[in-house]
Amino acid sequence: MSENADSMQNRHFLLRRLHSLSGIVPVGVFLIVHLVTNSTIAWGGLNSRVDQEGFGWFDRSIATFQHEVSFINNMPLLLLIEITLWSAIGFHSILGVYYAMSGKGNTGSYKYGGNLRYALQRTTGYFGIFFIFYHVATLRWGWTWLVPGGVEWSHEHASSTFAAALQGSTDGFTAVGFLVACFYFLGVSALVFHFANGLWSAAITWGITVSRPAQKRWGIMCAGLGAGLMFLAWVSVIGFATLDYDQAREVEDQLLGESIHMNVDDAHDAVTLTGHDDIDG
Amino acid sequence: MSEAEAYSYDADMRKANRKQAVEGRSVIFKIKRCDGPGKSTRWESFKIPIETGANVISSLNWIAANPVTVEGTKTTPVVWDSSCLEEVCGACTMVINGRVRQSCSCLIDEYAPKDGDVMTLEPMSKFPVIRDLWVDRQRLFSNLTRVKGWVPIDGTYNMGAGPKESHEQQQMRYALSECMSCGCCLEACPQFTKEEDESQWDSSFVGAHAISQARYFNEHETGKQLKDERMDALSGAGGINDCGNAQNCVKVCPKGIPLTESIGAIGRSATMHAIKQFFQGKK
Repeated sequence: MSENADSMQNRHFLLRRLHSLSGIVPVGVFLIVHLVTNSTIAWGGLNSRVDQEGFGWFDRSIATFQHEVSFINNMPLLLLIEITLWSAIGFHSILGVYYAMSGKGNTGSYKYGGNLRYALQRTTGYFGIFFIFYHVATLRWGWTWLVPGGVEWSHEHASSTFAAALQGSTDGFTAVGFLVACFYFLGVSALVFHFANGLWSAAITWGITVSRPAQKRWGIMCAGLGAGLMFLAWVSVIGFATLDYDQAREVEDQLLGESIHMNVDDAHDAVTLTGHDDIDG
Repeated sequence: MSEAEAYSYDADMRKANRKQAVEGRSVIFKIKRCDGPGKSTRWESFKIPIETGANVISSLNWIAANPVTVEGTKTTPVVWDSSCLEEVCGACTMVINGRVRQSCSCLIDEYAPKDGDVMTLEPMSKFPVIRDLWVDRQRLFSNLTRVKGWVPIDGTYNMGAGPKESHEQQQMRYALSECMSCGCCLEACPQFTKEEDESQWDSSFVGAHAISQARYFNEHETGKQLKDERMDALSGAGGINDCGNAQNCVKVCPKGIPLTESIGAIGRSATMHAIKQFFQGKK
């Protein structure tokens, strides 16, 4: 066997295993964090620390989500974290499409559960790439021409602008907006399935689960994790898709007002709390 | 150990079919025919009177004696491959009603209980057709040599008796030893695709049978001498990592071999092999 063939073999192994690993760390871990953060729009009402006079459940949810977004936005080296995630998603996507194209599905003849999940893993992968690209391009890179209603997402008005992007306008659903919300619903569902099923098959790939009972046990755990994440994903999308723009805007403006007030009172605290240069903008 | 899952799909329906099979009926056999390698394919139907206990092979024998289609046209006898006629050689494997299995053990009563029912026979789609239902499974055997599916005993001196093996180990390996190289796991695998170009075989997916045989010999006390070489081959292109975990292989295996356990076990060996290579490999 030539040296060249050996290095090709090693590269093949490395790429395959990095593909498997990148789906879990960092992409899968980020998915969990992202869904926990976004679902605060549904359960943030539990958060008493953001409570203010006159605040109801959803006001507290909006405030909690805003706090989470501001916290993330103030993380050191945020751009480096983002670039790491984008690279990992790009790497996983490109190799994934290449690997998926090497197979040929046969669910027509062999209607076994495992075979259906095999096919679904590939379909959700393709759809997920499309969804993530739209999601990041519109909300992070500011490609507002792809957003019905043309709303640009803002860190200071995190809930209201995201709700408007999902609904298609700042005053409730438009027809195209409804399609975007449905697209989001399908997108997050596809990605959660892809992650949970990928976690199950990664355990076989790495040789962690060997016996069939072990594969089954781990499968039940992955399904449980998937169901939990699916719930978070659905309440996130439904929460933002049904959010009242004006209500969210009011809460966010109130929080911004506090930041300005504190900025005057105590410049040191305000920097750590908000970190924005142009609070009025 | 070996949890026979073979043909569990629709098993109840086939059992029920057997009970209500009509005596003295005729069944239509729709067969995908091909006159030779590279030739075009066509479908031909034959009407066959079913005797008690008839199977696909006995029906093909009937066609060989009466090669006349339902339209009344005289045609050539249908060609197929078979040997043992008791589901231990694997030669008569073909696609019956859309799913792969051995034709010798395929009872007509289970598939076509009523008069005029249709049975569809096709050659396996992952191997080159020699003629009609007869395919060339050379790639399957070539993949066994790729993973060195044997125990090294040839040498210049007597190696003596092999080491002792525990009862549990024997039980585990016995299940793996039942592989008859029939090709069902490959036919049902979405990752094992037809490859006409022989030079591509060594970098195309090796298949569940070869992975399981590599485990079988890796676990053998003398056979493990070749473990590193097997894992080199299985770590490369077309090796263990090309498995997509659809797990059709274990569902269609007529011997109920725990193929997906072998895939997990070889996955673990590949992980360990890579760590070993990284820290102490000379290449």
